[in-house]
Amino acid sequence: MTEDAPGAEIAHGVAERLRASGPWEVYAERSRRFELHFTGKEVELVHGPVTLHGYGIRVFRNQGGQTATGFQSSTDLSDEGIRAALGDAERVSRYSEFPAQKVELPANGPPARGGPKVVDPALWARPRDTVESYFSALTASFDHHRNVAPSFGSIRVTLTDTSVANSAGLRASYPQTTAELEVGVKASGGPEGAPPGEYWVTETSRRLDLPGLADSVDRWCRYAQDVRRAVAPPSGDFAVVLPASVLAGILPQTLGFKLSGVARLRKMAPTLGQRIGSETVTIRDDGRYDWSPFAGPCDDEGTPQRARTLVASGVVEEMLYDTLYGAAFDTRSTASAFRAVVGGSSNWKRFTSPPGPGASTLVVGPGDGGTEAEVIEAAGDGIWVQQLGWANPSALTSSFGGEIRIGYRIRNGKLAEPIRGGVVGGSVVAPPGSPSMLSSVETVGGSVELAEGVASPAMLVRPLTVAGGAA
Amino acid sequence: MSDLSGHEGELEKALARLAARAPYTELLAQRVHGEEATLDSHETTVTPQPRLQGAIFRIWDGRRWVEAASSAFDAPSLSEVVESLAGDAARSPAHGPRPGQAATTRREWLTHPRKSMESMGPEELVSLARTARGWARSVDGVHEARVRVSWSDEERLYLNSGGARCYQRTPRTHFVVVPMATEGGRVEFDFLSHGGRGGAELLDDLTEESVVATARSSKELLAAKAPPSGVMPVILDPGVSGTFAHESFGHGTEADQFLRDRSYLKPLLGQMVGPDFLSIVDDGSIPDAWGSIYCDDEGHPGQRTTLVERGRFVGALHDAETAAAYHTAPTGNTRRSDFLSRAFVRMTNTYVEPGDRTLDELVAEARDGVLLERATSGIEDPLGGQMQLKVKKGHRIENGRLTDLVSTMALSGRVLDFMNSVRGVAKASDLRMEPGYCGKGHSDYIPVGSGGAYLLSRAVVGPA
Repeated sequence: MTEDAPGAEIAHGVAERLRASGPWEVYAERSRRFELHFTGKEVELVHGPVTLHGYGIRVFRNQGGQTATGFQSSTDLSDEGIRAALGDAERVSRYSEFPAQKVELPANGPPARGGPKVVDPALWARPRDTVESYFSALTASFDHHRNVAPSFGSIRVTLTDTSVANSAGLRASYPQTTAELEVGVKASGGPEGAPPGEYWVTETSRRLDLPGLADSVDRWCRYAQDVRRAVAPPSGDFAVVLPASVLAGILPQTLGFKLSGVARLRKMAPTLGQRIGSETVTIRDDGRYDWSPFAGPCDDEGTPQRARTLVASGVVEEMLYDTLYGAAFDTRSTASAFRAVVGGSSNWKRFTSPPGPGASTLVVGPGDGGTEAEVIEAAGDGIWVQQLGWANPSALTSSFGGEIRIGYRIRNGKLAEPIRGGVVGGSVVAPPGSPSMLSSVETVGGSVELAEGVASPAMLVRPLTVAGGAA
Repeated sequence: MSDLSGHEGELEKALARLAARAPYTELLAQRVHGEEATLDSHETTVTPQPRLQGAIFRIWDGRRWVEAASSAFDAPSLSEVVESLAGDAARSPAHGPRPGQAATTRREWLTHPRKSMESMGPEELVSLARTARGWARSVDGVHEARVRVSWSDEERLYLNSGGARCYQRTPRTHFVVVPMATEGGRVEFDFLSHGGRGGAELLDDLTEESVVATARSSKELLAAKAPPSGVMPVILDPGVSGTFAHESFGHGTEADQFLRDRSYLKPLLGQMVGPDFLSIVDDGSIPDAWGSIYCDDEGHPGQRTTLVERGRFVGALHDAETAAAYHTAPTGNTRRSDFLSRAFVRMTNTYVEPGDRTLDELVAEARDGVLLERATSGIEDPLGGQMQLKVKKGHRIENGRLTDLVSTMALSGRVLDFMNSVRGVAKASDLRMEPGYCGKGHSDYIPVGSGGAYLLSRAVVGPA
């Protein structure tokens, strides 16, 4: 698929040398990583380039009417290394069980052109220069802010050639870039004598957004200043507005599980046609969403990406399957195979994990709530949550909640004083008849913002429980 | 894959070549192997650890640290790293000395588990997991249980141009059982988790009694009430106490945050920050604990560091650079997630030292509040001094007695307010250490232990 990434197709090379019988799949990455860590406005560490070339082999075996799988990953590209990895995968497959009769691997990859935008051209061509330029621009953007400066941070970029091959004849490959930004934005000093405040920025994207940087820094500085004068939130049930940046920490982990074949197999999923949200809630899972860190021309099994309507006007319409879980229900993959590295950076070392079904980019359909100001006006008396400490949602129960790191009280339909501390939480999905976040969505705004794995307008939920008050 | 000793010659040569062209050079090589079995009633998988090994080289170029890594040990791959870093050193306009002293430790540490996990093989791993699943499902109302049994055997070799050579071999074993109870479309679960440095002897805690008790708790959670909401007396169970220690005076005393001027604790060193019966410790030298290390990734042995002693903030966690800046010694807390990741000041095993109270006394003193049990996560706020702790369950405290079971909660509050509100810590008989993983920010995860005994304080809690 890509002509400008010579030698990209590790998976294709491994596939040619693989002496395996039966269905198999090779997923590979050729990655370069570069990081710049800073304290204040000074570079503290230059990390990289770190190169990592690796692949994962998965085999599928029919055992007693079930499908057994075995997986091993390696960085050893020699014939001996490939044999050893395949040997491991074959060996462990003997102990595997999965209730599928026959797995049908994709034979055709995505078309060579027309995929979603997942490569930052400048980053791909000149990673170190681009990161250093971005760092200079980042620090310069703070120059006109009195009493606010970066305390620390890092810019981590990963350039990856991903390739997939399988025994059905699939040969797919594509390049992708990922940029992770972390900045501690610290407000201090000033005449008011308040303690310092920090807004902690952590963002993952496909590109370093230089044109939008100055506006972002202005916003971060405002939040850091507001932290200093924030008060504890009140306690009680409130209208709560959640922007995309907060929903990104809640929806993928809960809906991505509840509406997947994994949950359906274990009888933990709602049924198709079941109402799980209010009529204002429509959610698609779009694997082709431009610049999303989870987008690509194909999923991690090589199935061409597409969009799936998961929830239409509050009702479950479609679910997420990879090839294995699709086979368990005699249905095809929905191009929802993802390899996740738990507790690590995205798009780095993903070849070390076998795939499973999950959400790509959850796109909440714009509603008739209008602008953010109009959503706030609709809330009347409530709370805008700008950042949670860690929502840490539970996939199994779909409960979520965390400390408000910075938010705003809404009074008389307008944003009022900043708030900080206390706990806000709830349950994303609940059994019929029980209250949940999605069933309590009153209004969805009109303009969509992309934040990591969620593209959404601001969402007004009424009510969510807030535990506040000074400790 | 051969073990690291088979590559030490090439690594030493590469280090020597780089040392001739940079003011200071060090490397960390890593290799891990192991296996994990995961199953529930629908799916069984055995997954070997990735065949992944490599080395990261770090130089001081006269003004800043620069590092590069290779996932291969052959001469051409190592040469590529050496040339890349030598180029950085040559381009550097400054020639200052590295901050802090280089370690000179030369030592090897090997762990000899009483029972090897490797000799168990996948069949025995799966058999053990199936047995545990059976115990869980024997409880009426528990239809599903997910069990994972895993082990790893990690080698780390550290060399520097000052002559240090540290080799450590660390086996770790861990299991987790998650019995799930369902009713009317609702799912609830509790979990049992145990792990440490060592081998199959750590699986002795995977007993029918412990699994059945956890499964019963899962079922009971279906009938749990909503947690209370607001400011109230709180008792933390030993695991939650450990998470409190970790998120408060663990992250808050990582001295790289001092250099960044990003710790609210920095100006408080030497001052009273809590009652005189409260002490918090980080200890990487506990023999079998999950977060223990023989030696950190700068060549300094793991050690015990008292952070809060009888209410006074007395110590911080240091690497060589921060130790030099604060005129003290490194504390053996420099850790890399793996050979592909940078080194930071990190915790090992962080805990609240036991006190002299009983749980019954603490409950009576709390009178009306909530007991928080089964820590699931926490997050720090190094500059703002807040913390967030989340738990799977708890019990109401009413009129000085434990009453209703309540479900998932989060605790929020200012660390210093929480510390100053601590009214008692339970005895050593309640001390427990739990395995976990810690990120620096949202990445660079490493194994850490945390623990303590029951602790009574006051905070905001709410449903989460």
